Amino acid sequence: MLRFLIRRSLGAVVILVLISAITFFLFFALPADPARLACGKNCDPASLALINENLGLDKPIPVQYGEFMVGIVAGRDFPVGHCDAPCFGYSFVNQEPVWPTIVDRFPTTLSLALGAAVVFLAVGVGLGMIAAWRRGTWIDKLFSSLSLLGQSLQVYFVGVLCLAWFVSGLSIMEQPAYHPITENPARWFSGMLLPWLVLSLIFMANYSRMTRSQLVEQLHEDHVRTARAKGLSGRTVFFRYAWRGAIAPIVTIFGMDLGSLLGGAMITEYTFTLHGVGRLAVDSVRLTDLPMLMGVMLISSAAIVVFTIVVDALYAVIDPRVRLA
Amino acid sequence: MTVNRTSKVRTCAIALAAGALVLTACSEGGGSGSDRSTEPTMEAHGITLGSAADSTGPAKEVPGAKKGGTVRVLQRDAYEYLDPGQIYVTDELIMQTVYNRTLTNYQVDDKTGKTKLVGDLATDIGRSSDGGRTWTYTLKDGLKFEDGTPITSRDVRHSIERLYAKYQTNGPLYLQQWLSGEGQTFRKALPDGPYGGDHLPASVLDTPDDKTIVFHFDQPRAEVPFAVAMPNIGAVPPGKDKKEGYNKAPVASGPYKVADFKPGKGITFVRNEHWDPKTDPIRHQYVDRFEVSFGHQWMDSTRRLLADQGADKRAMTWNNAVDPAQISTVLKDKEAMARSLTRTQPYVDVVSINTSRVKNKKVREALAWAFPNGQYLQQYGGPKAGEIAGSLVGPTLKGHNRDFDPFQKRKYPGGNIKKAKELLKEAGKEGYRIVYAYGNDKPAQDASVVVVRALEAAGFTVEKKELDRGTYYTQIGKVNNTYDLYRSSWSADWPSGSTVVPPVYSGKNVHDSSPNYSHLNSPTINKEIERIERIEDLDKAAPEWVKLAERVLTEEIPQVPVFYNRLFTLWGSGIGGVKFHEPYGAVDPTAVFVR
Repeated sequence: MLRFLIRRSLGAVVILVLISAITFFLFFALPADPARLACGKNCDPASLALINENLGLDKPIPVQYGEFMVGIVAGRDFPVGHCDAPCFGYSFVNQEPVWPTIVDRFPTTLSLALGAAVVFLAVGVGLGMIAAWRRGTWIDKLFSSLSLLGQSLQVYFVGVLCLAWFVSGLSIMEQPAYHPITENPARWFSGMLLPWLVLSLIFMANYSRMTRSQLVEQLHEDHVRTARAKGLSGRTVFFRYAWRGAIAPIVTIFGMDLGSLLGGAMITEYTFTLHGVGRLAVDSVRLTDLPMLMGVMLISSAAIVVFTIVVDALYAVIDPRVRLA
Repeated sequence: MTVNRTSKVRTCAIALAAGALVLTACSEGGGSGSDRSTEPTMEAHGITLGSAADSTGPAKEVPGAKKGGTVRVLQRDAYEYLDPGQIYVTDELIMQTVYNRTLTNYQVDDKTGKTKLVGDLATDIGRSSDGGRTWTYTLKDGLKFEDGTPITSRDVRHSIERLYAKYQTNGPLYLQQWLSGEGQTFRKALPDGPYGGDHLPASVLDTPDDKTIVFHFDQPRAEVPFAVAMPNIGAVPPGKDKKEGYNKAPVASGPYKVADFKPGKGITFVRNEHWDPKTDPIRHQYVDRFEVSFGHQWMDSTRRLLADQGADKRAMTWNNAVDPAQISTVLKDKEAMARSLTRTQPYVDVVSINTSRVKNKKVREALAWAFPNGQYLQQYGGPKAGEIAGSLVGPTLKGHNRDFDPFQKRKYPGGNIKKAKELLKEAGKEGYRIVYAYGNDKPAQDASVVVVRALEAAGFTVEKKELDRGTYYTQIGKVNNTYDLYRSSWSADWPSGSTVVPPVYSGKNVHDSSPNYSHLNSPTINKEIERIERIEDLDKAAPEWVKLAERVLTEEIPQVPVFYNRLFTLWGSGIGGVKFHEPYGAVDPTAVFVR
């Protein structure tokens, strides 16, 4: 296991370096001019040159990239002050350090992702299990239909409707907002409830369908038939044999989904005016804020890579046939 | 000046007027007849110059106003700059009025909405001598920063000298350039600002005592009272100025101070106990706190303010407009309309014709006749979002002629296709290929459909180029761009065409990132700009600028005026004292109270 983790971690570092290089160099291929954003109304080439110098954009791109990467490991000095490692630089837009900004936004994204994950896992997988257990019955058909409906819905559509109905119309739900759990757990819960429900609705449908299909497939496997033939109870067969076989692909997908969500649920954050990492990513692209974009990209990529490794490691626990070679 | 905030170019515009600098404006509002009759509140009032008595505090009490409470402010775009030296966009211009005081400033009458320029930190709007080359300001008694230290002329000098430092790149440049040289050459007069202990010579900027500031210019500068109303000409304590770091923690001189600023998320203002209302003829300190949060798209702020529930009863926005998709819903809601305003803003939306590529004047004329102003405006929200424009200068500028509409846009809101066809035929350019560039935001995408339809009906062949919204102005701002037609927006910084015509239509400004998006370089226009710039009497210069703008349009056709902007906005039922700040085109927060 240790060798596996070391090997995968080294691979992850290589992947992240590649992602950083691609993002950095692609940025300069864009028809963007970050200096223009800080150039005021009556901009001229002399002003642009001054701003490019201030931002360090007058240096060759490979040099800029090298300085950026060194800063992550060793920190850097800027006109605004020293930036401790891990230093992703200062935002071009507001001269705020990137790392504390991401740290500030991450709890919102973490709350959104984990809360929604609890809901969509519990409800989605639960519904899928019931549908598989009662396959062919009206319950199965009802749940399958609901899953199809859920899959066809989008956050920006359901979210806006929910806001109009439950917040502005009936006034039975609180205006979505993030309040730190450490300050007021009740407000944290009530402020995040609607985003959790809406975000989970979309995932729930996927997990319900996936769980059902995996379980139905497993219930037709030889080892399940053998267990039945040995006289084991239906419940034991379902949970100990079929469920155990079905869980591996669900965990795989869940790991990737959670990694992606931790990188930012952009549409959900925009719909509910939450200030998470996803929104930060979109804003940094819109405002051509290279340091912020790099920081968010690397953190998001790291989340996905880490969760992929964790999922791969969990495989060995879930499925004894898998060996971490 | 572009309307898109990311381009950093929406600022104030005002109307210059009669008398000492009067101003008026005469829009009855509305782009169509029916609209005009139903929007009496849209009239632009213009701006007058206040006396020393007008500059004396306290501001008149607002009837029914109470102290206390928290007001939520829902804003779409995050504030990037709190440093008054770097502020230049509408959102930040209106925001800084609560904590930043300048030598002069705009006083909006609570009842009439009329605006006066008055002394703010200074006892009056300035006293000129030496034929307008010298301007003297005296600070009021009792001025203090948020930490209780008195504001002196040294702090005002520092606020100006720090603008010479290289990190100060975003704010207005007028005063620095008038004092020390055009373009970026002014910085040579004080490299790196005052941080090394150097100062501008007393022959340029003098502070003979704690109360007096004297500006010496090398030529008459009649517009100084307006230039020192810009947010960067105030007071900054040298001991608290941490250069770039000041952006996060500016020291307040106004009734509120920054309690908590989270870039990208929000900002909270609380009472500044050291602000003395007796020194301030403009601002009140009714509410305890303003809690400003960012990221509220117009759809979101409109929904919340329309619903008017819970804490949102005490919510407002300073410049989010009503979402175009919800305008009809709001219009039907009498209760909501009672807590709304619709006012003409200083911005004029235009479509620039790239004269480097479209050299044939008849072709440009055909474009102007064919452009479907009314249908285009509809995509941006219709009459509540703007009024069909006939001129390149808006209704808030003195001398604006409502009847000036050389391409008959009010008569033909869909464009005069027949006339355009004839012109194209006369030019022998039927089927002329036009590259129309637009941003990938929804209104621009929708508008592109009606533009293409009209131009093609007139005989043009149109190629659409959809550009990324984030880099739109960078792309159209390149002199060698490959587009023929693209939208932009502009407004004056103060009530003078001198902040409109030269930047947008002077041949000196044909360079990358310039507001001269049409690349107009006409010797006759350039010569006329130079002539008007030499007129020392603002009262005489103002109508000359408007006339020149009209000449630019009829003789050169570098742009097609499309619509004069309007702000249609709502606030919660628990809020009073809301008024419109005409110079900034936003809601004025200085008299807001919780009912």
